[in-house]
Amino acid sequence: MAIARPLSIFDVYDKFVTGKKVPEEEWDYSIIPTNATKLKEKYKLNFGKNIIPEDKSTMNNLFAAGLEMLVQTGFYNTDNKRVLKVDEAEVWEGIKKTPSQLILGEGRDCARFYPRRGNSPVKPIIQGGPTGAPVSEGIFVQVMQSYAQEAIVDTLVNGVMSTIEGHPAMTNTPYEIRALMAEIRGVDEARTRAGRPYMAM
Amino acid sequence: MRPCDSHECSQLNELKVDMAALNMLSGWVANGDTIMIEQMPIFGGYCGGVEETAICDVATTLASFTLFSGNYHLDGPIHIRWGITTARETLQIAAHAAAAIDANTDLLLANQYYPIAGPCTEMCLLETAAQAIADTGSGRELLSGSAAAKGVALDKTTGMEARIMGEAAKATAGMKVPDVNKVLEKLISSYEKSYTKAPPGKTFSECYDVLTVKPSAEYLKVYDGAVKRLNEFGLNIKN
Repeated sequence: MAIARPLSIFDVYDKFVTGKKVPEEEWDYSIIPTNATKLKEKYKLNFGKNIIPEDKSTMNNLFAAGLEMLVQTGFYNTDNKRVLKVDEAEVWEGIKKTPSQLILGEGRDCARFYPRRGNSPVKPIIQGGPTGAPVSEGIFVQVMQSYAQEAIVDTLVNGVMSTIEGHPAMTNTPYEIRALMAEIRGVDEARTRAGRPYMAM
Repeated sequence: MRPCDSHECSQLNELKVDMAALNMLSGWVANGDTIMIEQMPIFGGYCGGVEETAICDVATTLASFTLFSGNYHLDGPIHIRWGITTARETLQIAAHAAAAIDANTDLLLANQYYPIAGPCTEMCLLETAAQAIADTGSGRELLSGSAAAKGVALDKTTGMEARIMGEAAKATAGMKVPDVNKVLEKLISSYEKSYTKAPPGKTFSECYDVLTVKPSAEYLKVYDGAVKRLNEFGLNIKN
């Protein structure tokens, strides 16, 4: 059956509000492991020794198992303790609406984010940075510059400033936001120093 | 921030999310921002083994696009015992999930890096390279890293780790997958028995001149050594 439209964030919220109530422990310790094991058996998945699969059937069976996991199991909301259900057509519509190409950054510093389709000769985008690891505020710019100046790096991912003006950048405090804004300014300074002011962060 | 920068929102383990995430996402979507959704499935956690974790990995990746309006998905299967993404099992989970999704869609896939060893050590660079090789060989489009020393130690990250990540990816791109698997087998075997005595590495200030932001001669020498070993394993990185 045709679906009305791709799911928006608001549709997702509405689905959570009307979803079935499930204890979180049941989700974690019973529903997730039980369903994953059933699907492993249904699709006869056994990866063997290869790190990267070499046969199409393993790839297709794993994809089918993952899709079925999402559709059969749904998604859990830890705040209202309810489970959203999504059907397969909605999953495919969501895939269809997703842009398959993005441009990260601007001008000569942009990176083209296109599907590689297997191990194509086109290298992946290299997003350099501490990936959320803690960085002292006194050397934040220099740490980020060390990535921005690397020729192989295309875009930046910031670290987490451990303090802001000496205050711990604690979650759910005003200093969290102050630190975040300082991180953005720091990344901007770092890429400017590296001569790549329009790189994406 | 610009529309060509990325906003990051995390799912929760496993197949879970909270209202704060939905609130952030609703604003970013309205604003036309580029959205990266993150999820790091835990190998040995609620999902269980390698295949089960890969199934959950595919499910949560699809959810990023279908439920949460993501533009690209940032993966990062993590080992429950070691807290790293560069273990054999977590590399296998990430590579299988990426190859499965890549074979069936044009979704944009990324992965993030948490090696156990710290900066200025050969082990850190070899771990980072292993993941870059697996990610590239399995068709991922973006590599994000690296959070050396498991991403928890203060100032234990530098640009040199991103250099090896990028150079290993560049050398892998276009190789035949069976050849990539051969390189990975030798490479992973070279470090995976050393987790209990992984070198903590050095801080940024010990690895770089903080004034000029140039890496130390010591780190450049360690880097050259790692490249030499990677090339012995079958890669072709040109310095």
